[in-house]
Amino acid sequence: MSRALSLRINGNTYHAAAQPGDTLLDVLREKLRLTGTKKGCNVGDCGACTVLVDGTPMNACLLLAAELRDRHVTTIEGIARNGQLTPVQRAFMEEGAIQCGYCTPGMVLSATALLAQNPTPTSEQIKNALAGNLCRCTGYTGIMRAMERCANRRSDGTCAKKCSDDHASRWTPQVQKDDGASGRSDYRPGDGGFASVGVSIQRVDSGDKVTGRAVYTDDIQLPNMVHGKILGSPIAHGRIRRIDISKAAALDGVLAILTGADVPDTMYGVSPARYDEHVLAKDKVRHVGDEVAAVAAIDERTAEAALKLIDVEYEEFPPVLDALEAVKPGAPLVHERYERNINTHVDHSFGDVDKGFAESHHVREETFTGNFIYQCPLEPHAAIATWDHDGTLVLYTSTQVPHYVQYMMAHVLHLPLGKIRVIRPVVGGGFGGKAETTPLDLCAALLSRKLDRPVKMTYSREEMFHHGRGRHKQHMCFKLGVDHHGRIKAFKSEIHLDGGAYSSFGVATAYYAGSVVPTLYHIPSYKYDGYRVMTNKPACGAMRGHGVPQPRFAFECLLSMIADDMGIDPVEIRRRNAMTPNTKTVNEMDVGSCEFLATLKAAAEKSAWDTKYGQLPKGKGIGIGCGGFVSGAGYCIYRGQVQLSHEKGRESFQKRSIFPHANAVVKISEDGMAAVLMIGAAEIGQGSDTVLTQMCAEALGIPVSRMRIRSEDSDISPLDLGAYSSRVTLMAGHAVSRAAAAVIEKMRPYAASLLGCAPSCVEARDAGWFVVGGKGNAGDGNGRPAACASDSAGVPWEEVARKYFNDNGPLVGTGAYKPPEGLGGDYKGSTVGTSPAYSFGTAICEATVDLETGKVKIDRFTDYHDCGTPINPMAVHGQVEGAVVMGASETILEDVQFDEKGRILNPNLHGYLIMSIKDAPEIFSGLVDSYEPRGPFGAKEIGEGSTLPVLGAVAHAIANATGVWIKDLPITPEKILWALRNCRAGAAVTTTPSTISV
Amino acid sequence: MISRVATRRRTDCGGVSSLYVPTVEWHEAESLSAATELMHRFGASARFLAGGTDVLVDLKSGRNAALHLISLNRIPHLRGISSDAAGMRIGALTTPNELLDSELVRKDFSPLLDAVSEMAAPQVRNMATVGGNIASAIPSADLPPILTVMNAQVVLWSPRGERVISLEEFFVGPRRSLKAADEILTYVLVPNMRKNFGAAYARFALRSANACAVAGVAAGLRLSPAGLVEDVKLTLCAVAPTPKPVPAVGEVLSGRRPDDATLQQAATAAMQASEPISDIRGSAEFRREIVAVLARRALDQAIVRAKGNAA
Repeated sequence: MSRALSLRINGNTYHAAAQPGDTLLDVLREKLRLTGTKKGCNVGDCGACTVLVDGTPMNACLLLAAELRDRHVTTIEGIARNGQLTPVQRAFMEEGAIQCGYCTPGMVLSATALLAQNPTPTSEQIKNALAGNLCRCTGYTGIMRAMERCANRRSDGTCAKKCSDDHASRWTPQVQKDDGASGRSDYRPGDGGFASVGVSIQRVDSGDKVTGRAVYTDDIQLPNMVHGKILGSPIAHGRIRRIDISKAAALDGVLAILTGADVPDTMYGVSPARYDEHVLAKDKVRHVGDEVAAVAAIDERTAEAALKLIDVEYEEFPPVLDALEAVKPGAPLVHERYERNINTHVDHSFGDVDKGFAESHHVREETFTGNFIYQCPLEPHAAIATWDHDGTLVLYTSTQVPHYVQYMMAHVLHLPLGKIRVIRPVVGGGFGGKAETTPLDLCAALLSRKLDRPVKMTYSREEMFHHGRGRHKQHMCFKLGVDHHGRIKAFKSEIHLDGGAYSSFGVATAYYAGSVVPTLYHIPSYKYDGYRVMTNKPACGAMRGHGVPQPRFAFECLLSMIADDMGIDPVEIRRRNAMTPNTKTVNEMDVGSCEFLATLKAAAEKSAWDTKYGQLPKGKGIGIGCGGFVSGAGYCIYRGQVQLSHEKGRESFQKRSIFPHANAVVKISEDGMAAVLMIGAAEIGQGSDTVLTQMCAEALGIPVSRMRIRSEDSDISPLDLGAYSSRVTLMAGHAVSRAAAAVIEKMRPYAASLLGCAPSCVEARDAGWFVVGGKGNAGDGNGRPAACASDSAGVPWEEVARKYFNDNGPLVGTGAYKPPEGLGGDYKGSTVGTSPAYSFGTAICEATVDLETGKVKIDRFTDYHDCGTPINPMAVHGQVEGAVVMGASETILEDVQFDEKGRILNPNLHGYLIMSIKDAPEIFSGLVDSYEPRGPFGAKEIGEGSTLPVLGAVAHAIANATGVWIKDLPITPEKILWALRNCRAGAAVTTTPSTISV
Repeated sequence: MISRVATRRRTDCGGVSSLYVPTVEWHEAESLSAATELMHRFGASARFLAGGTDVLVDLKSGRNAALHLISLNRIPHLRGISSDAAGMRIGALTTPNELLDSELVRKDFSPLLDAVSEMAAPQVRNMATVGGNIASAIPSADLPPILTVMNAQVVLWSPRGERVISLEEFFVGPRRSLKAADEILTYVLVPNMRKNFGAAYARFALRSANACAVAGVAAGLRLSPAGLVEDVKLTLCAVAPTPKPVPAVGEVLSGRRPDDATLQQAATAAMQASEPISDIRGSAEFRREIVAVLARRALDQAIVRAKGNAA
C-alpha cells in the first residue's frame, strides 16, 4: 500500500506516494527524479547515496523515507545556490578530485558537513569524515588536495597553505626533442609551447559531476519504460532440465519472460574464435549467476519478485573451481569443446633460452600466485533498450566500448550495424569491467522488442560480481637467469590463468600475460607457456593492465630477489637491464620513445632510496616496482570490415588495419564561436573528453572554453573502438587533431585573404588568425617559418569561420587514425601487445608492517612515469594516483572468494574490501621529459601502465619490512604472520631470512 | 566424462539479494507501551526499528522476513546522554557519533571512544543506535565488549515492568540475548569510572575504516595503590558466539603486578578462551593469534589509563 509522503528536501516540500518499505534513496531517485544521489551498493557500504539529514551525513539507502517526516534532507542538488558553486565544489573541480564522478555527490556532501562543523579540519579529521565514501578512481589524492585547500582557505578564497606540490610545477611544456624520427608527428608546439595541451585544466564534465547533473544510465527514465531483471543460476555447474515460468508470468505486473528457448542461437563473446556465450543458458549453466531467464515488469520491485517465482530444475554436476585441478585428466569439463578445460594455449619462444640459462651466472626459479580481482567500479552496469518505429535499436548502456557493443548486438540480433544506435551516458568507472557486451544489453533489447516499450536493466552490486570479467587469477612459475653483473640472459615463464566459465577477453589475456613482459627490460631469450583454463566461476576478462599486472608483480619480485641474492641494489639491477629507446624487443615489439631510465633515476632520488634501502628499522620497508603498457592495441578485436558479422566467414589476418580505429568530426558553429568535437571515444571517468577537447582546441587555435564535445552517441559520432588498451589519448587524439587540422585547412585561404597574405603564411592561435611569415623567410629550425613583422595583427578566428560558412555552408573537418602498418612480428599471437608506443614507469613504495598482527600500512608512494607529453598533467597524475591505490588495494586486500560449491562468499563491498581514504598512501606522482613521435603532440598512455609497477613495489616493501617474501596475492596480515612464524622457526637453520619464501 | 549428481532444487535466485525492502507495514510508536502493543499484535512477523542499519540490510538481503516494522524513533526521552552521581545514562536511540561528540564521554568515559571511533562508517555512525548495536547481539558489534568491561547495564522495558541486566550476562548466542521479543532496550547505564580504573578496546580489521572487526578485545582493570591489578575484566569481540567475558584473565592477573610475563600469561588466557570461526576475514587460527596480541594491547592501554586516572 502506498501512502502519501511529504519530505523537506533542499528547502522545498516534495509530495510523493511511497510504499512503507521505500528508502529515501528509492524515493529520491525513482519518485522525485533527484538522481544526483547515487546507488552504488544499496546496503550502506559505499557512501555513494550520502545525503545530509538535518546537516548530518547518512546513507539514503538505509533510511526509510517514512521516518523522515520533519527532517530536512539536503541532496547534492541542494548544495549550490543560484548557480553559485560552494568552495568545496570548486575545490573538487580544480584539484582533480573528480574522475568518474559516481562517488562525487556523496563525497561532496560528507565534505560539506565536515566543513560546516569544523572549517579547519586536520588531515586526520578529513580522512575520518570521508572514510565512509569509497572512490575507485582518484586514489583519494585529489580529494585530499581539495579538502586541504578548503581547510586552509583564506577569506579571499586563496589557500593559506602552500599545497604540497603544485601540479603545474611538475611538468613544464617543452619543445620536442629532435630525435630524427619526429617527422612522423603531426603536430609540434610553437615557440611559446602549447596553449591548451600540457595544461592542467579542470575536467570539462566536472561541473555536472559536482552538482549531481551528470546523467548516468540508471538515472534515465524514458516514457512508458519498464524494468527487467535476470535470474542467475544458483549452482556452479549443471544442466537445466526444466523451467516453469507459469507462476512468475501470473504475477501482477509481469509483462514478459525470456528463457534460453526464446533467445537467438547465435553465440557471442569477445574473441571471434571463441564466441561461447548464449544470451540465456540454453542447456548448461557454468557458474553461479549464469543467466537463466529474464523478466520484464512494470517496475524493478515486481521483476525482482517474479524471479523468485521461476521454477528451475537442474541436474547438478560437480564444479571445477581451480585452474590447476581443471587441467588434470578426468576433471569435469566446463565446455565440451575445450579439452582438459584449456581455452587457449600460448607457446612462445624467442632466442635460445637453454643457452641463456646455461650461460647465466645466477638462476632463480619461483612460483607466484595471483588473486581474483574485481574492478568494482562505483557505478553498477545498466542498460536501457528501446526500438524506434523504423526498426532501429537504441541502446543506452554503461560501457567502455560503444562500438564493440554495437557490433555484438548486430551479431546476436542479426541486424546491420547501421540499425543500431548506442548511447553511452556518463559512465561511473570501468577499469575493464565494462569492456564487453553484457547480458543486460542483450536482454533489454530482446525484452524491449517483445514489448515494444523501453526496458531498463541494472545490476545490483552482487550481480556485478556474478557477471564477473575481473582480473584472471594467475598461477605463475618463473625462472630468470642473469650474468654476474645481474644482466638478464634468459627468462622462462609458465602461467595458468584461471579464466572462469567463458572466454571473454581471455585469449588476449593469455597472450598479454607473456607479450608485455619483455618491453620493460632487455631480455635476450624468452620462453612463455600460457594456459588459459576454464573453471566454474564467473568469466574473467580484461582488467586495468590486462593480463600483465600479476606476471609483472612476479617478475619484479623475482628481479628484486635476485638483486638481493647477488648483493646488487634493486634499483641498480633495473638500470642495468632497462629498456632503451628505439628498440625491437625479442618478441618483436617496436619500442619507440623510452625514458625508463629517467623514471628510475628520478624515483630513486625523490624517495631517497639510497638512504633507506637496507637501512630501515624492522617493520619499516621500502620496495621498488616498475612497469609499462601499450598505448593502444595495434589491432582491432575482430577482423575484416565493419559489417554484419554473424554471416561473415572468418577472415584471415592481415598485418594492417582494415579500417581506422579512431575517427572524429569537428563542426564549427555558424557564428564561429563554438567548435563541437564529435568522437566515439568513451569517457568513463579517465578524462578522455577533457584531453580530447584540449587537443582539439590546440589544433584549432582556440581556447578550450569555445569547445564542446559530443562523445556519447553513435548517431552523432563516427566509430571509435573505445576505452580499452589505453588507446584513447594516442589514437583518438590523432583523429581529433587531424579533424581539427582539416578545419584549419578549410579556413586558411579565408584567413589569408582577410590578412592579405599567402595561405602558407597564416596560422590560427589564441582565437585568431595571424600572419606568421613573409615570402622567402627561412625556417627557424623548429620546422615552421620564422615570424614576420606583423605577428601581432590578426583577425578574429570566428570572423574567418563565418566567411567560410557564407561561401560554403557547414565548416566541418574529419580525421581518422589507423595504427601503422606492419606492427609486430609474424608469429601466432604477435598482434597482442603490439602497439604504436609503450609507456614506462617506476614506483617506490614505503610501508609499515605491524609485526605482531601482520597488518600493512602503505605509507608513501613515489612514482615517476614516462607517458610522453602529458596532455593534461593533472589528469595524468589522477590516473597514477588512482592506479597506485587500486594496485596497492589489490595487492594487500582484495580477493573474490568462493566456497566449495562455487558460490562467491564476498559479492559485496563489505566482504570484498577496497581501500578507503584512511588506507590510501601519500602519493607523489612525477613525470619525466619524454616525447613520443608516434603520438599526438608527443603523447602516449598512462591509465593502465600506472598500475603495473604498483603490485611489485608493495610486495617488495613488505618483504623489506619483514624479511619474508609473500608470493601469493593478496598479501594479507594472516599470510605475513605465518611467514614470520615460519621464518622464526627456521631462523636456527638459515641465516638469510630475506630470501625465505612462502 | 561428467559424473552426475542428480539433484532437484528450486531456484534461490543465485543468492542474489534484493534491491528493495520487501513489502512491509511500517508503524510508528509514540510510546513504549504503544510499541509493545504493536509487537504483541504482530508477534513474530514484527521487528523493532531504530537506526535501521541492521534491520534494513537484513530485510534487503533476505536474512529476516519481517512483515511489520515498529519504529521506536518517535518515543520521547530515548535519545541523548545524561549523568548523575552514579554514572552516565545513554538513551538507546543515541547514535555512536553522538557518543563521539559528547563532552561527557570524552571527559569521563573516554574508553568508549576506542570502539566508537573505529566502528563502521561515519554515515552509519550517524544512523545506527547504541541500543541497536547491543540489542542486535551481533558477535562482531564493537560497543558491547568495552561497555561490558566498564560494568555497564542495560535497562529493558516491557508492560511487565523494567529490569536492569548487567551487560556481561545479556548475550546468550549469536543474535540472541536475554531481551524478550516484546521488551525494549531503553537505556544503557555506565557507572562512573572509579579512581585507578582504566579500560581500553583494541580491535583488528582488515581495512582502516568501515570494516567489520576480525577480532577485538576490551579490558578494564584497577590498580591498587601498591600497583597490583584488581577487578580485571576482559571481553572478546567477534571470536565467539557472543561478546565473551574471559574470567580466566582475572584469575591470572588479580592481585598481581602487571609485569611483562604476567600480562603475556593473561593474553594467552584470552586467546585460549576465544572460540573463533574461519571465514572470509581470516582463519580461526589467525584470529586466535590476533586475540593474544589485542588482549595484550588492551591490557597495556588499560594500565596506562589506570595510572593516569590516579588523581
